[in-house]
Amino acid sequence: MQDQEIIRSHVLVIGSGGAGVRAAIEASNAGTCVLISKTIVGKGGCTIMAEGGYNAVMSEADTISDHYADTMKGGAYLNDPELVRVLTEEAPARMNDLISWGGVFDITDTCTICQRPFGGQCFPRTCYAGDRTGHEIMATLMEQLSNSNVRIFHEISAFDLIVSQGRIVGAFGLDRKGKMYTFLADATVLASGGGTRVYDISTNSSGGNGDGYAMGWRAGAELIDMEQVQFHPTGAVYPWDARGRLVTEAVRGEGGVLKNSNGERFMSRYDPDRMELSTRDVVARACATEIQEGRGTIHGGVWLDVSHLPAKRIEERLPVMLEQFLKYGVDIRTQPMEVGPTAHHIMGGLRITPFCQTTLPGLFACGEVTGGVHGANRLGGNALADTQVFGRRAGAFAGSEPAREIQFPEDQADSAKKMLEKFLAGDASPGTVKREIQRIMWDGAGIFRSKSTLEETRAALDALSKKNLKADSPSGFNECCTVRNMIDTARLIVTGAFLRDESRGAHVRTDIVQDWDAQVSPFGHTILTRTGATIERRKS
Amino acid sequence: MQISVTISRFNPDTDTSPRMEPWNVQVEDGARVLNVLERIHDMDPTLLFRSSCRAGQCGSCAVKMNGEPVLACTEEALDGMVIEPLDLPVIGDLMVDLVPGINDIPRIHPSECGTNPTQEDVLRIKPLRDCIECLSCVSVCPAMKVTEFLGPTSMRSQMRIALDPREPGNRIREALEQGLFTCTSCNRCWRVCPKNIETPGKAIEKLREIANREGLTLPRHQEVAELVRTTGRSVESGKHVFLDLVDEVIEPFGDVKREVGFFVGCMFNARLPERAMDMLEVMRHAGIRVIIPKDQVCCGSPLIRTGQTSIINALMEKNIRVFQDRGITTVMTMCAGCGATLKNDYETPFEVKDVSEILTETGLPPLKLLQTTATYHDPCHLMNGQQITKQPREILVQAVERFIEMPAMCCGSGGGVRSGLPDEAAALGEMRRTAIRKTGADVVVTICPFCEYHIQEHSDKPVKNLMTILVEALGEKPTELS
Repeated sequence: MQDQEIIRSHVLVIGSGGAGVRAAIEASNAGTCVLISKTIVGKGGCTIMAEGGYNAVMSEADTISDHYADTMKGGAYLNDPELVRVLTEEAPARMNDLISWGGVFDITDTCTICQRPFGGQCFPRTCYAGDRTGHEIMATLMEQLSNSNVRIFHEISAFDLIVSQGRIVGAFGLDRKGKMYTFLADATVLASGGGTRVYDISTNSSGGNGDGYAMGWRAGAELIDMEQVQFHPTGAVYPWDARGRLVTEAVRGEGGVLKNSNGERFMSRYDPDRMELSTRDVVARACATEIQEGRGTIHGGVWLDVSHLPAKRIEERLPVMLEQFLKYGVDIRTQPMEVGPTAHHIMGGLRITPFCQTTLPGLFACGEVTGGVHGANRLGGNALADTQVFGRRAGAFAGSEPAREIQFPEDQADSAKKMLEKFLAGDASPGTVKREIQRIMWDGAGIFRSKSTLEETRAALDALSKKNLKADSPSGFNECCTVRNMIDTARLIVTGAFLRDESRGAHVRTDIVQDWDAQVSPFGHTILTRTGATIERRKS
Repeated sequence: MQISVTISRFNPDTDTSPRMEPWNVQVEDGARVLNVLERIHDMDPTLLFRSSCRAGQCGSCAVKMNGEPVLACTEEALDGMVIEPLDLPVIGDLMVDLVPGINDIPRIHPSECGTNPTQEDVLRIKPLRDCIECLSCVSVCPAMKVTEFLGPTSMRSQMRIALDPREPGNRIREALEQGLFTCTSCNRCWRVCPKNIETPGKAIEKLREIANREGLTLPRHQEVAELVRTTGRSVESGKHVFLDLVDEVIEPFGDVKREVGFFVGCMFNARLPERAMDMLEVMRHAGIRVIIPKDQVCCGSPLIRTGQTSIINALMEKNIRVFQDRGITTVMTMCAGCGATLKNDYETPFEVKDVSEILTETGLPPLKLLQTTATYHDPCHLMNGQQITKQPREILVQAVERFIEMPAMCCGSGGGVRSGLPDEAAALGEMRRTAIRKTGADVVVTICPFCEYHIQEHSDKPVKNLMTILVEALGEKPTELS
């Protein structure tokens, strides 16, 4: 191969959100570590824009078993119990890591960390730094990363994992100009984040296109529960281009109320006990139903109101929300916000063990790209905890892999290069295909699904997948690879949704009548691999 | 809606300089700059720009819109806007090299013997913690253009470290080496910050206070502090002292439309009293009664900017009292530095207004246009410190026949830089010389005495105070004191 770079390390980490950076910091203790990111490291992913908080048992009055029970119940018991045990047990220690590294979280006058109530939890368990908790975590991680010897590659996009004799030995990447890089490593950590950008309305950053699900699936990894897509109940609905922008659950945690256009606090009809602080799946469906049944606002949303709270409290606890809405001409101290559901988080993903091993030797995974931790619905505040708990584990266990001899994967590099060069002869604009995917998925595989909508969606995706994506020059390879990943991710979601003949958590099938609760569901995980897809049946 | 936009295009592999490319694009109502760039990208996939979080939190997408740094993802697109890259090394089109600047930012080194911050510590650190490392501040910093300065956000980070008990050591000497005293306190970084972080006031001046406690204040700055301590003034008296020349109450010709107290400031009092006399002449014609308490003292700005704050409270109390005792409800400043200090550092029981605000509110007396071409230099402490740019221009265009804009930039005289680091101040002054020449103007008009004094040394053209121009436009002779 000409004009390509080969970078060898003990551990390769793909992705620079909260999970990836945490993994790299940990892995660097064990040997050479390379971190690659499609953005400038520290600016990508969704951790940086996470607002509300980080769930951890930090108080004597709270218990790990309650956090465990809340998470399982919130996840409609589709969670992998072992992963939940690890999450809830280790979340406090990982929060303490952040504090010892310089994290600036809100604290009480007795020097304990502030915690706020979040949906679906029996205790105010969500630690925070105002409403820029994720930003604070990233700032802290970046400080720690700069004190480590991790070798950083900014703005390199991984586009395929490298498989050698059934083992993952690294990944191929592209720089901005379309130059190919080969990263070889004894162990690879996939921390590439989520993919709800496959939907028209999404909270995700520009990079949330499902690269990791697609790369993992193509390399032969097993994925679970990809149909479980969380629609956050409160995203912006106006103006057009801001649709989907996250309005943090902390707004409701701080006392915000939801109202329809008739001024009714409609949550009393859906979950009278927990009201606005019900789980996200319930609140999102409630909002969607209100809007669908004609009780929505002009812009197709519902009202979210904090104007009854003292202005000072809003300024202190929700400064980012205040600033963002002011930019759009709404002062949330005196005016209600217009909000609606937005695709937020994919609960499914690569199947992992508690040691973050995927089903492929040499490949570890952590963060949103994994499945099992959050089951069928993620509790607000559990994702940031997930990034830190499993980020550390992935880095540590990848680091403990033995060194190996790795041959340069001549054949795979050649076929990767051929695939890229084919884009130069393509004819379909990736931008157009991307928008088509987003529209198809929103219409056919959104909050409410049925066999017929899913069938249409699948057919439309199949047609899109046959298009020859076009790059005008090698600098366009990246965008083509992204769209290729989006198609694969969208198909995984639809396949999972087909297989799951029940409504559970975030996944709702309007064409199925069921007489069981989640706890006694006959179904387990949907399992998706390159060679086939199935759903687990539980023994009754 | 249809938007016309001009984009700066540049490919360093093939172009020697950027070219401006006009576009017309269809966007939705309320579109942001980023949405416009994305529409253009659909038509021309070679357009380079960055974005990631789309929510103003990652700092990837800062660009210049009509010359001002903005986040493309949050700033509303305007018809006719010009989009350019930040003033940082350009990788291509709107994409700049952010990584070196980000890597420069000092990072905390927590120690095991440190303690966790208290609630009070957290409250003090938080305002410095919002930084999204977009480097807008770095792209506009004048000191970084002419001297070795690590930049505003690096100082922000140093102050955050200084406030954090988890790093118990002291890194003030490191901050000094990184250029702590090179900041001119122009506050441009604050005004362009998408998170509104007041780096000069909340970080740089506070670090200079720490330096002061460690005995590291520059010798020239110590001399100024000593002068204030012994005389109440930061400028040594020259031949004429304004407060000795004037009565305590100056009545206008004709009806009294308004009454203001005048805070003269040390420069106008002792070094450029003619300008303050010119102002009084303008006020007489404008129908404004001016009350001048003779026992006022230095506002403290030279001390606050250089971190020597031990006697500040006494100065503040005295100044507030002398105006309050006379029942004055509006205090007028003429010196941009004093005005910014009274507005931002004081808590006054009266309103504080710049002379240009007073005159535009009350109305100018009849003027005769001067046959000259004038340009205007924005004093930083007026433009950034008080966000006043319109009023001086409104006044100036009524007094001169031709007015030519000049891009604003710090002249180098502020923040103790002229006295403490004269080479840097001179280098910035020379940049003003080039900018002034480019305008082709006959005269440079400004309000700030520090700017006037400093730019005059670096300008081929005369530098005049706006009040002097007004006196000329009134058909009178500007004040001359022999």
